This record gives sequence, C-alpha cells and structure tokens, in this order.
Amino acid sequence: MYKKGNYRETDKMSDLICDNYPMLLVMSRFGIALGFGEKNIGEVCRMNNVDTCTFLTVVNFLSDTALGSVPTVSECLSLESFMTYLHNSHDYFLKFRLPQIRAKLLEAISNSTDDVTFVIRRFFDEYAEEVNKHMLYEEKTVFPYVRAILNGETNQKYNISIFMKRHDQIELKIAELKNILIKYYPGASNNMLNSVLFDIFSTEEDLASHNQIEDSLFIPAILELEKKVLNNNGKHKP
Amino acid sequence: MANINLKIIIAEPSVIIRSGLELLLKRIAGFRIQIVEVSGVESLPDAMRTNKPDVLIINPAMIGGVNLSNFKEECSCLSVKCIALVYSVFEHTCLRMFDEQIKIFDSADEIRHKLERLNAEEVVSMEESDEQQMLSAREKEIVVCVVKGMTNREIATSLFLSTHTVITHRRNIARKLQIHSASGLTIYAIVNKLVELSDIK
Repeated sequence: MYKKGNYRETDKMSDLICDNYPMLLVMSRFGIALGFGEKNIGEVCRMNNVDTCTFLTVVNFLSDTALGSVPTVSECLSLESFMTYLHNSHDYFLKFRLPQIRAKLLEAISNSTDDVTFVIRRFFDEYAEEVNKHMLYEEKTVFPYVRAILNGETNQKYNISIFMKRHDQIELKIAELKNILIKYYPGASNNMLNSVLFDIFSTEEDLASHNQIEDSLFIPAILELEKKVLNNNGKHKP
Repeated sequence: MANINLKIIIAEPSVIIRSGLELLLKRIAGFRIQIVEVSGVESLPDAMRTNKPDVLIINPAMIGGVNLSNFKEECSCLSVKCIALVYSVFEHTCLRMFDEQIKIFDSADEIRHKLERLNAEEVVSMEESDEQQMLSAREKEIVVCVVKGMTNREIATSLFLSTHTVITHRRNIARKLQIHSASGLTIYAIVNKLVELSDIK
C-alpha cells in the first residue's frame, strides 16, 4: 500500500517516488526528468522551472487515499503550471498510453477469429476517439479561456460552469471493455492478454484520477479566479 | 454474488481508528465500499450533504446527545443508516437511536454480517438478479437488433412491441451484462454467436 500524503518541499524526491510509484507519472507530466540524486522536492522543482506548490498540491491530492475529502485549493497554485501538467497528461494518454494498449491488445487477440478481433478493435477505436474529443475540448476551449482570464479578460460567452456541466467520466467505457474481456473473451488464457488487462486496470484508475484532479482542483481554482477577475473589473468601472 | 455499492462516512476523531476501520471495510468481500473520513463534528453536516452516504459510522461521543432523526433531517439524508462505533462506555439510551453498533473487538465477519443485515433489501434483490443474469430469448433478439444498428422505433416495429417496452428491455440488458454501449453489445453478440460479422459491417 502507498504511503499517505502530506509531502513537503523538504522531502526527498526519490523518497516520494519510491513510496508511491504512480507519482513517477506526475513527475514526468510536470516535465521533470529522472536522475535528480539526493535533491529534495523543492530543489528539483526549481531546477526544472516547475511551480513547487502546484506540484505538491497534485501529489498530495493523489496520495491521499481518502479521495472523498474536499481539498482546500491553496492560494499559491499556479494555473499556468497546472495547465502544462494537464496538457502533458493528455499527450500521455492520447499519444502514448492508448496507442500502446491498442497495439498490445491487437497482438493479444491475434489468435482469435476475424469477427472477434474486428469488433474488439472497433470498440477500442471508438473509445479512443471519445477520449480524444474529451481532451481536445479542454485543449481548444478550456485552456485558452483560462489563459484569457489570467490576462484579465472577461469573456461573456464562456465560463467554467459550462465545462463543469459537460465534463463526463471518461474511464467508464474502458472499464466496460475490461469487463467484457474478463467475462466473455473466448480464447485461451495468454500472457499478453493478462498484461494488457493490467494496463487497462491502471489506465482506468489513471484516467479517473486525472478527471478527479480537474474536478476537485482545477475547476475550483478557476472559479476563484473568475470571481477575482469579475471583482477587479467591477472596481475599474466608473 | 454481485457486489453491493456502499458509500460510507466514518466520523471518528482518532486517525488510527479511522484508518483501521477503513482498511477493514475495504477488505470485506461482497461490497464495493467508498469511504469518506470525517474527523470533527463541525465538518460532518457538510460532508453528509455533499456525499449523501448510505451508511454513517460514527463515534457516539462526537454528537453527544443530539437526536439522530433531527440530525438526518438537517443534513437532508433521511435514508442514511447510522452505526455507532463503540469503544467506550455509553449510556443505553444514547445507543438505542442507532440502527446498529460496531464494537471495537468485532471481527471482519461480524462487521460484514451487520452491513448485510442493514442492507438486507439490496442483498436480496442482488441475489434475485443473480439468478437472472442470463438474457431471455426476447432480450437476445433485442441485442441482435441493437448491434445491427436499428433504432428503438425500428426494433419496436419489427418485433411488434411498444417503444417503451424496447427501452425497458434495453435497460434490463445493460443491467444484466453491465454493458452500456452499442459497440460493447456488439462484442457480446459476436462472442456469443448471436450475429455474424456480415450482419454488422
């Protein structure tokens, strides 16, 4: 079992990763490479131009296993850093994780009959397209909006509550694929299929926590920012 | 038996006891339990309102002599089942208002039985549905239509049913198979030889 958060910037980066290895993904999504020796979290973040507070907020949110608890969004959060993290996460899922699972899945089921491989491939491709749409919307609509309000522009046409309403859970359908394979896959047991199931299990969790970060940290931070910008603009008016 | 989903709030000031109970609950077979921890009575009403738990496991000392039914009403959680987490001496009248008690020396099995008793209705309905996990002949016909890409209205016309009946069947199919998408049903139909590849391309 992983150790529970609260990590501080004086803790060693290598301890964080060894205690809780999914943090490896968080680290690389913030753009931090391996090979940091004995340095602590704060030093490694500064060396890589990563906002330490944002890094720690994400890390501590993810390593607290009681995810129901509502985190308080810290004042020091850098939305720019946060968006870099989210953007790199999207890249990871779309350009690395899903294509890799697809290739492994196709190899694992290659001994099946043509009809079985056809429907499983079609399911997966439809799913990957849904994830792509979901993430592209954030890249094309939400992030530019946040950058605009960071510059103090208020946009009457868009606000973050629109995103809140349409932000759906993207891990449900890959969970469905996993259930179908487990319950109904007709072929003999094989190592590659087990391996791909492990990947799907962990990707399902990873996608769920990615969404949770957006819902519980990113959106509340933007709501705060919206309030601030509205107040400021109100003050400037005669 | 299929898993029963439960959302549980543990309200207990001691982190040692909270984490211990959490670990134990998560290991209980037959339940898929989601836990929210609350350490102080101040944050309890808010946690109740936002999480709408099925079960509240609470140290009675945390709410003193508060009337539980008033408290449930206040949190708009009228149907929540309340379990007292008992590890010190409490007056009998204080414990009477709880639906159940978990004692500090209870075994995992005892706790499991208590949860099952509290959720008896769901356990029974789960067992019933277990026997009916298999699709009926009618439901299989509908799966075939769905994977061929027919709309609910087209399915209704070709099987001489009302659209409403088709929708009910589809809901039951999704519940039995835990498959909610048409492309998922297609895999099911191919694997179980309900359709041929040429039917769906």
